[in-house]
Amino acid sequence: MIRAMAGTRAGGGPGAPGGRTLRVLLVDSDSDRAAAVEAGLTAAGCLVVGVATGTTELTRAVRDSGAEVIVCGLDDPSRDELEGMRALHRDEPRPVVLFAEKAEPEQIEAALEAGVAAYVVEGMAPSRVRPVIEVAIRRFRAHQALRQELAAAKQDLEERRLVDRAKAVLMQTHKLTEPEAYRRLRRMAMDRGQRLAAIASEVLHKNSA
Amino acid sequence: MPSETVDPESPPARAVSRRPALRTLRLGFLQLTDAAPLLVAEELGLFDGVGLRVSLSAETAWAAVRDKLAFGALDAAQLLGPMPIALAAGLDGVKAQVTVGAGLGANGNTLTLSRPLAEEIGRFPRPLPAASFAAAARRRADAGRPVTLAVVFPYSSHNYLLRWWLASGGLDPDRDLRLVTVPPPLCARRLADGAIDGFCAGEPWGSHAASLGIGTIALSSGDIWPNHPEKVLAFAAGYALQDPESATACTAAVIAATRWLDAPENTREAVAILRRRLFPALDAAEVAAAFDGTAEGIPQAAPMRFRTATLPRRDQAAWWLRQMRRWGHLPAGIADSTALAPWRQDIWRAAAARLREVEPPAPSPPPADLPETTR
Repeated sequence: MIRAMAGTRAGGGPGAPGGRTLRVLLVDSDSDRAAAVEAGLTAAGCLVVGVATGTTELTRAVRDSGAEVIVCGLDDPSRDELEGMRALHRDEPRPVVLFAEKAEPEQIEAALEAGVAAYVVEGMAPSRVRPVIEVAIRRFRAHQALRQELAAAKQDLEERRLVDRAKAVLMQTHKLTEPEAYRRLRRMAMDRGQRLAAIASEVLHKNSA
Repeated sequence: MPSETVDPESPPARAVSRRPALRTLRLGFLQLTDAAPLLVAEELGLFDGVGLRVSLSAETAWAAVRDKLAFGALDAAQLLGPMPIALAAGLDGVKAQVTVGAGLGANGNTLTLSRPLAEEIGRFPRPLPAASFAAAARRRADAGRPVTLAVVFPYSSHNYLLRWWLASGGLDPDRDLRLVTVPPPLCARRLADGAIDGFCAGEPWGSHAASLGIGTIALSSGDIWPNHPEKVLAFAAGYALQDPESATACTAAVIAATRWLDAPENTREAVAILRRRLFPALDAAEVAAAFDGTAEGIPQAAPMRFRTATLPRRDQAAWWLRQMRRWGHLPAGIADSTALAPWRQDIWRAAAARLREVEPPAPSPPPADLPETTR
């Protein structure tokens, strides 16, 4: 189930250290602990916009809550679902910050070093929570940007390959030079208001049919 | 701690305090049938037999296992085959070098479909032909209700074998349907809720959903790649280096457990151990199906096996790597040697020598790479 939180506390939680309020979805199957974690997050200047427990379908919970970051228990059963949203990168990916109830300080240091954004709830100083969340968001954005660049580069390459193949077909069937074949493709694309790659793919399709 | 109760100057106390503490190996696993070698090694005293103290830790998520291995809260764990590659590449920000001591099993996952989706497909033979599934998936996509299938983790044999199978039926898994992640113990409930139309998960979860009447097992992962490697026993970055003796001993105990598991006369006891330790709420038949090599009573062509899959094979892991590249899950610039470095055979060979375990025969080759779909 998901408990939606009233938005009455929007506009900078009490004690927000300078920065703006962060909208957080809290994922915790232990509802008693969730209340304590929520209080800690609020003190750290976060606005908990929803609490998802147990069997919630997370994709929907994330979308409905409008959260910009997810805070989740290190051992929560929902963790793999969150990973899936991030890695299969179609469903509402968000940065995920983990909390552990207890841990040795050196373990948390090691976790942060390994790339796991984590903090400890027990004896949590609000001033330490916020930086962990902010670093996680920055890392996530860098990662997303890289991923988009990769995807764009891949598509670019694929489209260029299509155009090259289509040019070769036109050169052969219509005895054109390469620049002529390219101009013909471009003209077809402009006439029909379609992308060059779409026209190229059509040319190839016709040729193979 | 009330240490005052013991005279610190008394000889026994001093002797104890000077002896280096026997380190306990912290070993993580998930609630799945193919965690059997780890549980059996403990139950039969095989860890004790190699002079190793092991604390088995039941984990609730693959992501938690991965993180704990990466930051040293676990020394070793059951991992999904592609996870060491993901860790070596630092996918999703978490980077660690792990070492595979042994494979934990072959085959053992099922694709279980909801009753309504199975009805839309119509009568089908088992294993379900990919083309029959693709036809139904296309109708659903055209009707604006794309099929949603769950896998257990992004970097899993489940995800990559399922993607290969979908692509072999002409589907683009990223466009023609939705793939989501759901933890195996929740799959039956999500299937019943209609949140997903099917799931690919390790046993006993497919047999469980089938026995509840919620789903039907359409195929087994061994139907896609017969005798594919499944989970691995992996040691944390520093552990295998700092304590190779313990890593070897642990691997030997696990290989010994796989020998015991593949002896048919032990199946009943293995099922009893698993039910007691992992699945108290499940029927014996649901847990036994994987050991009997059946899915809903139908014999599987390539059923779950343990002993024949223990040798870590880099050439087989390379198939996971190729799939990760093919689906764009791995950034360019990760060398094969880096991604596959976790698969070493030295620990296995040292462990096998102690048991006089011979090298298992080479398994079936992986399915051929499919041509990229032209978009």
